[in-house]
Amino acid sequence: MSAESSNPAATPTPCEDTQGDGRWMSLHNGFVSYSKDKEPDVLFVGDSLVQLMHQFGIWRQLFSPLHCLNFGVGGDATQHVLWRLSNGELDNISPKVVVLWVGTNNHGHTAEQICGGIMAIVQVIHNKLPHAQTLVLGLLPRGKMPNPLRERNANVNKLVEDALSSLPYAHFLNVDPGFVSSDGSISYQDMYDYLHLTAHGYQAVCEPLHAFIKSLLDKPAEN
Amino acid sequence: MSGDDLNPAAMAQPVEDVQGDGRWLSQHSRFVQECKDGEPDVLFVGDSMIQLMQQFEVWGECFSPLHALNFGIGGDTTCNVLWRLQNGELENICPKVVVLWVGTNNYEHSAEQVAGGILAIAQLLTSRLPKAKVVVLGLLPRGEHPNPLREKNSAVNKLLRSWLPRLGQAQLLDLSGELVHSDGTVSSQDMFDYLHLTSAGYRLVTKPLYDLLLQILEETPEERRASLV
Ligand SMILES: [Ca+2]
Repeated sequence: MSAESSNPAATPTPCEDTQGDGRWMSLHNGFVSYSKDKEPDVLFVGDSLVQLMHQFGIWRQLFSPLHCLNFGVGGDATQHVLWRLSNGELDNISPKVVVLWVGTNNHGHTAEQICGGIMAIVQVIHNKLPHAQTLVLGLLPRGKMPNPLRERNANVNKLVEDALSSLPYAHFLNVDPGFVSSDGSISYQDMYDYLHLTAHGYQAVCEPLHAFIKSLLDKPAEN
Repeated sequence: MSGDDLNPAAMAQPVEDVQGDGRWLSQHSRFVQECKDGEPDVLFVGDSMIQLMQQFEVWGECFSPLHALNFGIGGDTTCNVLWRLQNGELENICPKVVVLWVGTNNYEHSAEQVAGGILAIAQLLTSRLPKAKVVVLGLLPRGEHPNPLREKNSAVNKLLRSWLPRLGQAQLLDLSGELVHSDGTVSSQDMFDYLHLTSAGYRLVTKPLYDLLLQILEETPEERRASLV
């Protein structure tokens, strides 16, 4: 545990308002107050990949009917999500399933540190919502061609899948439908900037995700 | 505007690949290739405000049918757009209109510098594409509540409104009309993170742009008249 306290990815940190328009805190405060009169069955939390999902038709089509809330903030790393969840975003709700997707923005952190950050978030969710199940989504490959961040993300996935296997209240789901083609490239038709998903890319990710969430909602947690 | 050489916002600069996945250059290279393959009537160029437009219904419904290419890259400043346009993104194409939307990411620059950077891009466009019209979109308000960046963005717009007409073929179109409510707030219904537009936000703000593009394309003479003869 002493290792965790020195892991920057596992240390709750608010995003510094370097730009000066206060948007990050506006979003966080908005989530906290919005959650007060909502009773979601499913909470999505994470970075821009979660946030942008909310902006596409797939959200209304697949997730709105399941009573989902979306607490995604673009640019967030694990330490930012950890801060948000430790500071009010889980205090007014009791979802049955929490979907967590974060880690690709942890620049400068090792795969081990990022895994530690994700596991710290899983722990906060379990402490605050002991009856909820957490579904951690695997980090996607990024960049048009093979690069060190793809390898790092793949290593994070291995570590997280392994660490979650012993926890009855948490699950790992690899949502990459095969975005990397045989020549090693990623198409802009799936990821318009080789990081963020197009509507087409979300379709491929969200259909199996939707099925998995439904299966979790249909069976009680094992804790 | 003789001070352009000293304006950091008017200096062409590629984005440094600090994250290490080469995404910026991959996107630029794709745009250069698209110039070889396409004959756009309208070119959209700028930052994430341009880039995300292509991801929503408004692109397929309104702008794509005008034969438009989209060269938007999230996070770009005036320096980055200037570099891209000087390095292949204007080769082999002769659009009738260029829509330019950039400047809200120039955090290190003053309003005068940002406006000067945008003006430098508009000058490049008018010299490289002498027959094209240039529509510069005004910077939108940002942040949920009033803040210095909102003031800076509107100061940029004010400068552009007086500077751009001197270029002859360029004009400012301010789309920010309905975004700030009477209590000074911006709604997450329009801007999901108080910076980027939702699908509904795009629909709301791009209507005047669509009307202007139709008007400009209608006015564009030769082939149309030729085809009538
Ligand atoms: Ca498990």
